[in-house]
Amino acid sequence: MNLKKNEKLFFGITILIFTIIFFYVILGIAGSISILAIVLFFIFPTYTFLNNFKIDFDEKIILSFFIGIGIFPSITYWLGIVISFKLAIVTTLILILIISYLVGKFKKNNLA
Amino acid sequence: MNLKKSHIESIIFLMVYLFAIYLWTLPFQNNQIPYGEDDAISHWEIADSFVQADRTYVYLPPFIDYAYEGDNRFKRHTLWYHPPFHTDLAIISSMSSGRTVPVYLTNAVFATSILISVFFVIRKLFGFLPAILSAFLLTFSLRDIMPYLWGQWPERLGYAFIPLILYCFYSYYLSYTKEDNKPIYLYILGTLLGIQVMMHPLSFFHSALGIFVLGIMLAIKEKKIPINLKHIGVSLAIFLILLSIFPYQTGNIFKTFTREQSAEESKSNFERIFQWSLDPKEFGGSVPPSYFSYKEMHGLWTLPFLLIGIAILLIRRQNKDIFLLAWLISLYLVLHRDMIGKTELLHRSLSASAHIFIPLTVIGILAIPSIIKLSKKYANYLKYAAALSFVTLTLIYNLPQAKSSLENAYNSPFSRLNPAQVGVSEWLMQNTPESQNVSLIGPPPQLMQRTWWIGGYSQRVSQYFEGFLTWNKYKDNPEIAKGHLLNDYLIFDYSDIGRLSDQSLANQWSSFEQQNMINHTLLYNKDNIRVYRYEP
Repeated sequence: MNLKKNEKLFFGITILIFTIIFFYVILGIAGSISILAIVLFFIFPTYTFLNNFKIDFDEKIILSFFIGIGIFPSITYWLGIVISFKLAIVTTLILILIISYLVGKFKKNNLA
Repeated sequence: MNLKKSHIESIIFLMVYLFAIYLWTLPFQNNQIPYGEDDAISHWEIADSFVQADRTYVYLPPFIDYAYEGDNRFKRHTLWYHPPFHTDLAIISSMSSGRTVPVYLTNAVFATSILISVFFVIRKLFGFLPAILSAFLLTFSLRDIMPYLWGQWPERLGYAFIPLILYCFYSYYLSYTKEDNKPIYLYILGTLLGIQVMMHPLSFFHSALGIFVLGIMLAIKEKKIPINLKHIGVSLAIFLILLSIFPYQTGNIFKTFTREQSAEESKSNFERIFQWSLDPKEFGGSVPPSYFSYKEMHGLWTLPFLLIGIAILLIRRQNKDIFLLAWLISLYLVLHRDMIGKTELLHRSLSASAHIFIPLTVIGILAIPSIIKLSKKYANYLKYAAALSFVTLTLIYNLPQAKSSLENAYNSPFSRLNPAQVGVSEWLMQNTPESQNVSLIGPPPQLMQRTWWIGGYSQRVSQYFEGFLTWNKYKDNPEIAKGHLLNDYLIFDYSDIGRLSDQSLANQWSSFEQQNMINHTLLYNKDNIRVYRYEP
């Protein structure tokens, strides 16, 4: 199981590195940072949340993106009214990760 | 690490997707000045304004308010779209560098996300080959590329949600029994619908119709209706919570769709009942006639396969076939909403046609071997031969036009700001107050769009930013123009003068400058652009 997980992680990271290099080649540093930011802010936090539920791996990846581009900016927008926009982005990321962790823990405790 | 089948499939899809991104980013790979029609200006300037101010806002800053103060019919002076789309662009922009690439690249990823959602859903239902071929042909879909280039950005993203929403509904519906069910799909459905409203309400109505049609068709086929009040209640609660996050913008949707239409607008039109597309003449001046042509947009070679695909599904009627048929019927219904007098943005729904036409076309071409009675081995060979023919035909007929549209988009010298105009815009942003009125003396009517780009790039009020010397609006009201000048910053832009065939306008501006500006302070004088403060 762990081997399977590591294999998936290794494959995912290889794909990500290749993609970042591709964007660097066509659009320079702004392109590669933008893609990294899309993965970091729109896919990663929502994926950690969806990972608490029983749906297929490919469903988690795809739905993370489409849910992430709606939920993440909604929180950032309202935080950005009162604090710096950049700080709001980082705060949102931390907030979603904490919520994902808590939901996971809650589900584990309830199932145990 | 051993490469599994799923890894190889992922790599192939990644190759297709990156190729699509390569093509769709052609307009800003070598020229990183923002571009697009009026819609593009508004989307870019909202996102950029969040980044430049390092803040978001409820009430529009003056330079946006000038043009869009009434676009939110529920609460004037606020954003008319739900903020997430523009906040997305701003998030990526604020983490990256430059004012163009991050916004335009994020938008390109959003606009091409239809490839991801169609690939995902078709792979789940029909397997890898139909999915990858669908994604491949979608790369060159002119019905998607054209509005993407013009600037109808949130709408492009909104449409990418439709297959996913229908998929979640379908998965919940089919997995439902009283003993065992997967309510998570219904909860995700509520979430996706809520987000889709935020991206573009037009695509939400399309999804709602799709769910309705798919629900009826599955109910007839499966002879069951999964009604679980708890599941439906939770899903509805998620949806309503998402709608309530941005009350002003949600209010705008209600206000817009319930407003009274003129008698002409609300006239029912039953003449089109047997026609798929719309009459290009009704949209003359705003949308080119080619946009309404199947041949120009999809390529006539796809039509027989599309019809075969529909016929196969109608005959076979498996659940997955019903999924696509319901999607097709919902597209027909949204495209014919003028029959019930709803004409708003009717032509925009046409831009969702390739998303369902293409999978149907692929199913049609791949079904040919099964129509001809052959042994399994030969039928398999023929299937791959059909796939190869499909790729070849796509490369011959669809790629060239798509590539040239993207490669040549906004590459004329007049279609984007020149470096001198970028320079003066940046100077204005740094050296003038936020609510400062700035007037531009110069651009002839065919270059008006550049004026608005200067307005967006400089983020300064541009209430009369129209080069009023040549603007008919002031022809009979010289007092308004004259009175307006007081306390304005005036830009005299001669940076394009060498490219203008009609020099008489330039002479007119020049004599105006010589006669009227002599006693006013010259603040900026660079690259054939001068800025004055016009004081009483």
